[in-house]
Amino acid sequence: MKKAIITLTVNGDAREVAVSARHTLLDVLRGKLGFMGTKEGCTTGSCGVCTVLNARGEAVLSCLTPALEWDGQAITTIEGLEKNGALAPIQQAFIDYHAVQCGFCTPGVILSAQAVLNATPVPTEDDINDGLAGVICRCTGHIKVKEAVRAVGRANAGDTPVVAKP
Amino acid sequence: MLLPDHDFLKPRTLAEGLDALRDAPAGTRPLGGGTDLVFNMRCRLVAPPAVVSLKDLPELQGVAESADGTLRIGAGSRLTDLVADPRITARYPALAAAFRAVASRHVRNLATLGGNLCLDTRCWFTNQTKEWRDAKGPCLKTGVDACHAIQGSSVCVALNNADSPPALIALGATVTLASAAGERTLPLADFYRDDGIRHTVLGPGEILVSVTVPPVTDRLVFRKETARQGMDFAYGTIAVRADGRGERATRLVIVLGSLTTAPRRLVAAEEKLAALGLGEAGLAAAEATVRDALGALTNLYSPAAYKRDLARTLLSKAVTELRELPA
Ligand SMILES: Cc1cc2nc3c(=O)[nH]c(=O)nc-3n(C[C@H](O)[C@H](O)[C@H](O)COP(=O)(O)OP(=O)(O)OC[C@H]3O[C@@H](n4cnc5c(N)ncnc54)[C@H](O)[C@@H]3O)c2cc1C
Ligand code: SF4
Repeated sequence: MKKAIITLTVNGDAREVAVSARHTLLDVLRGKLGFMGTKEGCTTGSCGVCTVLNARGEAVLSCLTPALEWDGQAITTIEGLEKNGALAPIQQAFIDYHAVQCGFCTPGVILSAQAVLNATPVPTEDDINDGLAGVICRCTGHIKVKEAVRAVGRANAGDTPVVAKP
Repeated sequence: MLLPDHDFLKPRTLAEGLDALRDAPAGTRPLGGGTDLVFNMRCRLVAPPAVVSLKDLPELQGVAESADGTLRIGAGSRLTDLVADPRITARYPALAAAFRAVASRHVRNLATLGGNLCLDTRCWFTNQTKEWRDAKGPCLKTGVDACHAIQGSSVCVALNNADSPPALIALGATVTLASAAGERTLPLADFYRDDGIRHTVLGPGEILVSVTVPPVTDRLVFRKETARQGMDFAYGTIAVRADGRGERATRLVIVLGSLTTAPRRLVAAEEKLAALGLGEAGLAAAEATVRDALGALTNLYSPAAYKRDLARTLLSKAVTELRELPA
């Protein structure tokens, strides 16, 4: 199939890009638009490192969805979480709680955590587990990650400042 | 790796979509969320000449409730939206649990009900990379007269590994199919075939438009057994529906999923439980019927002996849960 021009709004900027039916959203974000924070892992839905947020702030796997489905849609990648030089609370919490090891899965994990917080600003354990099950960290696990998400949840509930690690 | 080349069609109405499917070359596939089809195209298991995206067709969206409580669920509805729909969670928590059992939130945010019900069958042989499959040679599903799961089998015995069919079949759901030639409605139980290649009754150019769940006041339980609770295909699933309360029931529907090519109803077990009750005696008699009801079991994940044990265990746990449900 010959290429088609689609409009994608990535992190607030509208862009036109020529894609073919052979491209997934992941191929376009990385290969055509240079958003390398969106990682290419298994490319078959199992690992979650290609996670991006849709317009509703939900986590979706960019490797399993054809790019042509996204014409006219808005997407947030890891590059879009920081606003005016300030990290998003979940990014700061990942630093404070040492929720990063090798870092390869981190963009996908942070966006998955952000999606949990978008849906439930004060998430339950079940919300956190359900929202993080689709993304896998092979270095360590989800313990530190969950501490970071809980901390932002507590801050959202007005309890403790995010950085106050016990 | 890029996907195999194909034409991508995005109709705006159902009628346009059905015309596109009628006029498209043989092998054209409808596309829901793509979490199964894109996966299979990536693994070069299928290379359709064209793909027709159904996901955003207005006629396939949303849940509608009629006055008598019947629910009509559009095939393009996302599983995420169904998991949270109060009309489903309030009346059929076990059905919502079955939707939620599918993969992860990341997948359910893309996946549709139609795609789950039409999920391609899965097999330990075909669900491998192309290089792995090429080393072993093709099978019935990939083009020659041989099966690597059951030596000498003349039919493909790949499994129906989808999580939502058992609960929907137990609820007596019907499906409405449409093609450019017209529409038909049939029980979901009759939608599946015992053939891993043509595993549904869908004809060429025909798609699933909606699922209708009649009003049901019976008890319903769904269970899924899997390697990892967070996200994994099932080793086995079960849905059990019963009238009555406690140990008393006169009508039951028991459906096993992920163990066979089509979801399997356990009629003999239903009869034992209706006759003897849901207590230990009824359960023992029901469990004794499972082996014959399952027949030959071969594919994916585990040996047949484990699958038989699993089926009995699922039955026993589900019936125990059911009889303890608060009235
Ligand atoms: C990592 C991973 C884990 C998974 N785990 C599970 C799991 O635990 N349980 C489970 O059930 N599934 C699982 N799946 C499979 C799949 O994601 C789900 O079954 C999902 O619901 C498929 O829906 P979809 O809309 O994405 O389907 P698609 O990929 O769009 O379609 C699937 C098939 O159905 C056909 N189709 C789609 N819509 C229609 C329609 N309206 N009419 C006719 N045919 C149609 C397509 O042509 C295709 O053959 C998993 C997938 C991945 C990648
Ligand atoms: S069950 Fe046999 S024919 Fe079917 S996909 Fe597996 S190996 Fe191929």
